[in-house]
Amino acid sequence: MTTTTAAPPTLGRPGPAPLRLMRSELLKIITTNAWWLLMIGALALLALAFLVNAIGADFAFNQPTPEGIPAEDRAAFEATRNEVYQAANLYTSGQFFGLMFVMLLGIVLMTSEFFHQTATATFLTTPHRTAVVLAKLAVAALCGAVLWALTTALTVPATAVFLQRYDMPSHLGDWPVQRAIMLNLLAYAIWGMFGVSLGVLLRSQIGATVTAVALYLIGTAAVQIILTILEQQLGWDWVSNIQYALPAVASALMVTGTDLPGEPAWWVGGLVLVAYVVVAGGLGVLINRRRDVS
Amino acid sequence: MSDGQIVVSGLTKQYKRVRAVDGLSVVVEPGRVTGFLGPNGAGKTTTLRMLLNLVTPTAGTATIGGVRYADLDQPLRHVGAVLEASSAHKGRTGRNHLRVICAAAGFPARRADEVLDLVGLAPAAKRKFKGYSLGMRQRLGIAAAMLGNPRVLILDEPANGLDPEGIRWMRDLLRALADQGRTIFVSSHLLSEMELLAHDVIIIAAGRLVAQGPVEQVISGMAGGGVRVRVRTPQPEKLMAELGSAATAQPGEDGALLVTGVDAPAIGAAALRASVELHELVADRPDLERVFLELTAGKAAIR
Repeated sequence: MTTTTAAPPTLGRPGPAPLRLMRSELLKIITTNAWWLLMIGALALLALAFLVNAIGADFAFNQPTPEGIPAEDRAAFEATRNEVYQAANLYTSGQFFGLMFVMLLGIVLMTSEFFHQTATATFLTTPHRTAVVLAKLAVAALCGAVLWALTTALTVPATAVFLQRYDMPSHLGDWPVQRAIMLNLLAYAIWGMFGVSLGVLLRSQIGATVTAVALYLIGTAAVQIILTILEQQLGWDWVSNIQYALPAVASALMVTGTDLPGEPAWWVGGLVLVAYVVVAGGLGVLINRRRDVS
Repeated sequence: MSDGQIVVSGLTKQYKRVRAVDGLSVVVEPGRVTGFLGPNGAGKTTTLRMLLNLVTPTAGTATIGGVRYADLDQPLRHVGAVLEASSAHKGRTGRNHLRVICAAAGFPARRADEVLDLVGLAPAAKRKFKGYSLGMRQRLGIAAAMLGNPRVLILDEPANGLDPEGIRWMRDLLRALADQGRTIFVSSHLLSEMELLAHDVIIIAAGRLVAQGPVEQVISGMAGGGVRVRVRTPQPEKLMAELGSAATAQPGEDGALLVTGVDAPAIGAAALRASVELHELVADRPDLERVFLELTAGKAAIR
């Protein structure tokens, strides 16, 4: 144990700040346990989701359209029987829970700074707090992209094998399918950023996690049920369109391969998601800039 | 940033009901250890956090080498700070904690190992932070502060949780760093420790400055200007007569005499001349503890 530094240490020339910060944030993730716990969760639920989607596709391919239902519902039913729709749905399996886990990773990346009081060290190193939050947004998006790559690498062969059993082509060459897979990547990236934004807004780790999961799992379903009841009771057709303002529904809409009758176009979902990230992230950055760290 | 002088000017922090820091103006010089003293709740931590851009002041400014912390280019190369004992992720190893900081600051990763060696924490480098003792956490904090080899070191209660050996180590380290010309600004409520460590002290209470200056000056200044000498003798009247009118005596404990106005050598010489027997002759140096209690008396710590 020495008490003095004999010669001044060589610290070298620092690289560009954004890259430094992103490297640091990435190190924060891989030097703790949360990332692989979330990844295992996401992959386990991916397997479950693929199974459910496969059963759904099997049902759609084999069942005749029921007689005596309204023409509108009939059209929707026919559309789900579309091979391309089912292929896109299978290729993007696991999205619902995958997005939730990416969001949780984003939340943890931000809130652990306060939970473990590392915000002090982080902001001492980088007093420019907005740069820190931007780096977290970028790294969360990156992690989302990695999970997307992982899930897609699993769903692509699985789907191709499944479709082959029905003597159907893989449809990987079809633009709607390619588009759905690409948009799925966008969804994963956006939900990671969404998590970071939520984390800045709700600084408490437990509070933010519980709120996000509850809203994601229960809130979405609850609002959909309420809207359906309103639509049926009051006869207001437009009411059900409100559900597309919910982030989870918007991202599901974004990755649909084909446009189902009665649903908005896929890019509406994309716009809704981007709006959420811009508003929540912007608000988070503004609040974080002046907030006291103690 | 050339010299590493810390200048705090009119610094104020108003929370909803409490004025934690109230128009504080102090200067901390480089090459010295400056103790920042005050009872708990006096506003020490808030002041340090404002200095480091972690808390936004209501009014006033704080600069390090003439620059606000937020405006420093690569702050860790100029200023190192140790703020709270538990400031690392519980599940991350000490080494990884430092590497995360290195990555953000643009330092090579081996710098993490160098500072771990510096603070004697290398054997625990790969252990998770939750397994660290309080003393090890403080050492990790110092290691993090030393990553950029800064000219200015700011420490908030660094002796907290250290055992006597650790406190001694800390004292030697901070003294050595000050001797290298660095600015060492260290807060504490352990006053006896500051008396051994600090060259200068700044004393605050209720968010306001009470005293500042070199330790000796603050102590003697508050002790009424003169040094008291405790004398024990069977012939007090004879001794006082020999000392003359310059000296005044007050009765002390157990029949001792507390003499002010003359120093101990003068009393010894007078006793020799008058052939007075002396049983005790001690310069009664007021300690910082007593001065501190007198200075901050009546200013409630809990507001």
